[in-house]
Amino acid sequence: MTYPDPDDPAHPARPSVRPFLQSGSISAGGYRPTRSDEPPADDQASTLRPFVITSGRTDGADPDIGMETQVTVNHAAMPMRLSPEMRAIVALCDDPLSVAEISARLRLHLGVTRILVGDLRAAGQLDVHVLGNETPDPETIMRVIRGLRAIT
Amino acid sequence: MDFEQSPDHFVGTARVGSGAPKKAPVPVKIIVAGGFGVGKTTTVGAISEISPLTTEAEMTAESVGIDNPGQGSMKTTTTIAMDFGVLTIDQTLKLYIFGTPGQSRFAFMWDDLIKGALGALVVVDTARIDDCYPAVDYFERAGLPFVVGVNTFNGQMTYSLEEVRWALAVRDDVPVLSYDARFRASVRDALLVVLDQALDKAIRARST
Repeated sequence: MTYPDPDDPAHPARPSVRPFLQSGSISAGGYRPTRSDEPPADDQASTLRPFVITSGRTDGADPDIGMETQVTVNHAAMPMRLSPEMRAIVALCDDPLSVAEISARLRLHLGVTRILVGDLRAAGQLDVHVLGNETPDPETIMRVIRGLRAIT
Repeated sequence: MDFEQSPDHFVGTARVGSGAPKKAPVPVKIIVAGGFGVGKTTTVGAISEISPLTTEAEMTAESVGIDNPGQGSMKTTTTIAMDFGVLTIDQTLKLYIFGTPGQSRFAFMWDDLIKGALGALVVVDTARIDDCYPAVDYFERAGLPFVVGVNTFNGQMTYSLEEVRWALAVRDDVPVLSYDARFRASVRDALLVVLDQALDKAIRARST
């Protein structure tokens, strides 16, 4: 079952009624695009495979550590020897920084960053500020609304 | 190895005395989803106080099935780029805006992404409306407040908002609006509608 690639600007798919309304799970959808969404990666072969840095682990990232989770250095931590990537993370987090920003600034894959941040947290080098309540409360949303209204 | 001789590899003691650590702000996030070239990054960049940053996420092994159902032997690894921006509301509150590909083959990462999210703006190009179907489906199922935003960045809309609403068949309480991703005020207003939906949901959740 092949569908035209909706990404393909040369052959834009025609608008129609949304096909998933009566379907089962979302992955049962008919999108089988043949093209990748991003521009072709330049010379991927020359870069270090990302999960070498995590000793091959691709899972085990703490589910509490989200992309926006704030990370700071634990100044009371015992000194210890760290890998260059871990040192770079610690050096960045003097001021609070999100996991996504660490990933972007160090050009580390997000998954790798999450694992390393989790390791550094376990080693006591970083404080990871996990939020107590996951669902945002109305007061916080009101503050965001007021803050957004204030910008021009 | 060189870096092992570096005096900098001991952290902690050397940094003590650099002043009281700043308190980490509370992060909140809004998702901007949509197809390729629909204006996600422009949207993020218009509202962000920093140039949009890019983080790369690798498709994990168990997610391969989404791309290749029934063909486990064809293991492909996909790296996708996500752009995001930041807006400091005040010293204790930061808004993150994450742009994410809207196609169903990226749904594996939405579970992670929408955890704790306030809501989503689904960006639509009227020339390719069905790019956004998977995102609309996903947010409906996940119960995440969302708004459909038709980006008029090319100055024209092939279909009216009513026609877009009809094609998407979204619930009546899901706002369908048009905005211009190039202008900060326009993006701000679109995000305010998302926040309005988020506030409604949060108040309903509290009263039950």
